[in-house]
Amino acid sequence: MNRVSAIDIRNVTKAYGPTLVLDDISLKAEANEFIAFLGPSGCGKSTLLRMIAGLETLDAGEIHIGGRRIDEREPGARGVAMVFQHYALYPHMTIRDNMGFGLKNIRMNKAEIDRRVAEAARILEIEPFLDKKPGQLSGGQKQRVAIGRAIVKNPDIFLFDEPLSNLDAALRMRTRLELAQLRRRLNATMILVTHDQVEAMTLADRIVVMHDKKIQQVGAPMDIYARPANRFVASFVGSPPMNFLPVSVSEGANGAVATLGDGSKVTTRVKGLTDSASWELGLRPEHVRVSDQGLAAKVEFVERLGERTLVYARLGDGTALTAEDEGLSRVKMGDTIYLKVDGDAAHLFDADGKGYHTPEVG
Amino acid sequence: MSKPFGHMGWRHSLWWLALIALGLIMVAPLIWTLMLSLKSNSELLRSTTNAFHLPYTLENYAAILKSSGVFRWLFNSVLVAGLTTIGVLTLSSLAGYGFARLEFPFRDVLFVVVLFGLAIPEQAVIITRHQMFAGLGLHNSYPGLILPGLAAPFGVFLMTQYFKAIPKELDEAAMLDNASRLKVFWKVLLPLTLPAQATLGIFTFLAAWNDYWWPLISATRPEMFTLTVGIASSQINFAQTSGLGYLMTQAVFASVPILIVYVFFQKYIVRAVAGQAVR
Repeated sequence: MNRVSAIDIRNVTKAYGPTLVLDDISLKAEANEFIAFLGPSGCGKSTLLRMIAGLETLDAGEIHIGGRRIDEREPGARGVAMVFQHYALYPHMTIRDNMGFGLKNIRMNKAEIDRRVAEAARILEIEPFLDKKPGQLSGGQKQRVAIGRAIVKNPDIFLFDEPLSNLDAALRMRTRLELAQLRRRLNATMILVTHDQVEAMTLADRIVVMHDKKIQQVGAPMDIYARPANRFVASFVGSPPMNFLPVSVSEGANGAVATLGDGSKVTTRVKGLTDSASWELGLRPEHVRVSDQGLAAKVEFVERLGERTLVYARLGDGTALTAEDEGLSRVKMGDTIYLKVDGDAAHLFDADGKGYHTPEVG
Repeated sequence: MSKPFGHMGWRHSLWWLALIALGLIMVAPLIWTLMLSLKSNSELLRSTTNAFHLPYTLENYAAILKSSGVFRWLFNSVLVAGLTTIGVLTLSSLAGYGFARLEFPFRDVLFVVVLFGLAIPEQAVIITRHQMFAGLGLHNSYPGLILPGLAAPFGVFLMTQYFKAIPKELDEAAMLDNASRLKVFWKVLLPLTLPAQATLGIFTFLAAWNDYWWPLISATRPEMFTLTVGIASSQINFAQTSGLGYLMTQAVFASVPILIVYVFFQKYIVRAVAGQAVR
């Protein structure tokens, strides 16, 4: 398949009455790119997706797909197909009719409809269910049918609105994998809305982190993880979340030196800091390891996850902090431990929440 | 060796006995009507207590086939109840869809106005309606018998609530499937309202079939009588001291269409009465 379609969202704004939901959003996606809109509930990510689909109107701005302005077109005329959170299969129709409904509406000939439905059913392994009704299928099977209904339309863009959120944990993981394989197979432009960072990290080429009506950061998953643009992105992406410790900052030989509340210092390689009244040191739990020496902390809780152990501890000045230890850790609640901080991987956030990171090598 | 009745067994048996007794009480008047229709009028003139003794005769049925207006009244009732039902279902579905899904000025106010219709008893408007229909020349006509029944605020309310309960995602999925608004209504939503349609249809049909008051006022010519009015007009005197068998035979005839409706829609009627149709 040779697709040229891409999406271009230009200065889109949306409000429900006095409540502003999206504030001057602009975004471009390249053809065949998998984009994930990631953010907490109410951040506007679903609204943005529904605007692309034509299910919500724009208050301002434009949306283009493949170079054509589509925001004034009917939903069916935009070249998009959407997979809904609750599947939205027509309960009174068979799976075959569900998948073919959209094609019948554009008066496609029956042979072509049958061919497309059969092909999608083969890809998704739902051939045995074609003559059943949605009520006779499990959640996972319904989800496949919903995806199949999108595939048969051969759209320019696939839109997924939290498609995995109704599935149990095991099925969600399997379907996530299948979705990744399907994406490689279809080689189409896809937009996924999710509040699950694992879905976004594992599926997307680029993640659009949204919060407070705005796009906070757009980037490749590991870029978002390793170089969060601001404190919100740093706290939202990553599980368990990043530690934030109030520090004072001074200039060192190789980068900024952060001084914690108890006077201990963390030498970072962060450069180019601006003047700021206050700073926070950002440390991912995997960069704070239980060691023989380092920051003294008292263990408040221990989570043994098998391959690693999460240690929830408190420093001498009362700052809470999450650290990691090996899977067979001997640390237990009430212990006093020492934590070694990887200053090279540390981040600094200024009073406005803007992130500063170790410069990229090369 | 059979197991003696346990505590639950006795309670179960008592329940069954009570239900059988209730069932017999319910069905007794119907059986009595059937038995009376099979007795000669002259015999019933002497006593009505011998309905359950031989001899039985079909003379009343033969008489009806020859002379009664019951077939015309049956036709009128089927037509009036049928068209009223179709009309109510059509109007209520369209209005329900409109109130549930469309945005238009004063929608919520209009819905409240419709609901006010539930609070106004027919008796309060019957004289005005009579005058209005007289002015329009609609008495003794099918439109005159059908039109008042089409104002069905309960139907509009029921269908509105039912449409509201259908997830909007289905409309949206259909819109993305290139369906027009009419197609969304006709192909996607309306089929999903079948249980509510069945409930509303059954109640409307039964109410129209059993309606006595309005046809009594509007239809004064025998050929425009519905069954209820027609059968009542056959009563020779208030105590029905003669022609009782004949009258009961007409009642049996009158109940046949309802029985047929029941046979075909039994599942929906039971659900409707049990309140399970609208979930």
